[in-house]
Amino acid sequence: STSLSRHAVCPRLQPPFSCPSRLMQVRWSRYSPSFLEPEVNKEFYQKPLEELTEEEREQRELKAVRPIKAAPPTLSSSVFRDPMISKFTNMMMKDGNKVLARSLMTQTLEAIKRKQLEKYHKAPENEKETIECNPYVIFHQALKNCQPIIGLSNITKGGKTYQVPVPLKDNRKRFLAMKWMITECRENKHRRTLMPEKLSQELLLAFNNEGPIIKKKHVLHKMAEANRAYAHFRWW
Amino acid sequence: LRLIHTSTAVQRKNVGASGPEKYTEAFIKKQIEEFNLGKRHLANMMGEDPETFTQEDIDRAIAYLFPSGLFDKQARPMMKHPTEIFPEQRKIQWGEDGRPFHFLFYTGKQSYYSLMHETYEKLLSAQKYQDQLIAQDLPLQKEKRNLAGSRWLTKIELEEMLLEKLSDNDYSRFIQLLQKLVALPCSDIEEKYIQKFSKEVPVQMQKVLIEPLQHDERGVAFSTGEGRRKTASATAIVYDNGTGKMTVNGKDILHYFPVLQDREQLLFPFQFLDRIGKHDTVCTVSGGGRSAQAGAIRLACAKALRSFVTEKEVEFMRQAGLLTVDPRVKERKKPGQEGARRKFTWKKR
Repeated sequence: STSLSRHAVCPRLQPPFSCPSRLMQVRWSRYSPSFLEPEVNKEFYQKPLEELTEEEREQRELKAVRPIKAAPPTLSSSVFRDPMISKFTNMMMKDGNKVLARSLMTQTLEAIKRKQLEKYHKAPENEKETIECNPYVIFHQALKNCQPIIGLSNITKGGKTYQVPVPLKDNRKRFLAMKWMITECRENKHRRTLMPEKLSQELLLAFNNEGPIIKKKHVLHKMAEANRAYAHFRWW
Repeated sequence: LRLIHTSTAVQRKNVGASGPEKYTEAFIKKQIEEFNLGKRHLANMMGEDPETFTQEDIDRAIAYLFPSGLFDKQARPMMKHPTEIFPEQRKIQWGEDGRPFHFLFYTGKQSYYSLMHETYEKLLSAQKYQDQLIAQDLPLQKEKRNLAGSRWLTKIELEEMLLEKLSDNDYSRFIQLLQKLVALPCSDIEEKYIQKFSKEVPVQMQKVLIEPLQHDERGVAFSTGEGRRKTASATAIVYDNGTGKMTVNGKDILHYFPVLQDREQLLFPFQFLDRIGKHDTVCTVSGGGRSAQAGAIRLACAKALRSFVTEKEVEFMRQAGLLTVDPRVKERKKPGQEGARRKFTWKKR
């Protein structure tokens, strides 16, 4: 059933006055607002009642009564599904070509595995344990290393626009890390190198805290440190 | 001008809020008398007792006497009590000397603001009661309100209650205030007041009948399911004591679905229930694209698996989103725009 009640709060950023938030109808969905998100993880359903906290119990009761949305095609309870990798694949996708994006992703992970295995077999005995061969671990650690801690936001005061250091939410940090990675791999490469090769290279560099993306993160941090004086302009 | 009976579709615009009375009290009274008289006449015509003639009987009688083939139920002839047809109107808000009755008349939204004031007073009294309990070191009662069984009034329902137009902002403010009131531990004293603004949600959806297992000639148990997704429709027959083979339109799934994502979707219900190597499946699918066909087969398999599995697991499947029909379809293209959402390129001149 259709529903026209998905609202978004649109704050008007005019400092130094506090903005009255206005609700505008922005998006609607084919599901009615009472539908809840599906939970695919099998372990969630196998937990006995005693281990749950108050909130989880309330959630369970609510779920037993409300209708649930259908699980989208990207969601499955498979052990191989990784939400971070799905998000990254979607960001790499162009014009809805999920097949291509997914194949590039698998090729990248394969390339990382091959490079690490080469290093592993060439390394002396005592260093073999320090080399990480699992491409998923490398992917996660690399993106974690690329995440900025603090960001800058443009605030206009007295006619001038200042770059004010601002704390970032987790979602925003992850998004920025992934966005930087993808733009870096699309732009700064030789015409003939393919995306999986360049991506695997960048991910391995980021895993070791080197490379252009880590540099970009450090530059952002230094800018934020330099603009410390304007930190009090932030009102949220 | 004779006032004609309007249909409920027209009344959905909040006529009550659109200004002073269009129908006078005397008129409504006359309509009610006419309705009652007409009810008795109708009962006599149908040969039934006029005293015990209910609204359902009236509807049946009208459908019998004036058969109509119109599709829109609200366009057919109907005979309802005038209070249902003529919505409640706001009476004139000022006396003969021109002085308004309500002290908040000049705010423009008198009912809304008086409601907000009342609710806030309840909030303050609940807080005072809480302070008293704390001062006397008594335990604060916290009977949990059942979140799942009730919902707040919608904006339209609130407008009908107050007979006044509300804006989205006003409505959200009011709901926030109510939520704040409910969150207090001592909100039990205001329970009656809160119940005026909450409605019962029909708790359990229709219990779906799970078909029992059928058995074919070899004695193997099987079950069928149907699924649809975005123009694709599929039927799946899931056999017991199998090796995990899946056939779609006569071909193996490896040939029919070369993409890994589609195969993941097909195996999703089996993987969720830990029954991967235990069932054989034969599916037929038509229509839609590759992802839609995969989604349709997934739904069909999940529905077929319900017969093999306990009720608790069926509930888990429902909460994982396996048994819901995905209502998302392609949005139509609108005139004046290039696509469903994309507008034409804006040119300054």
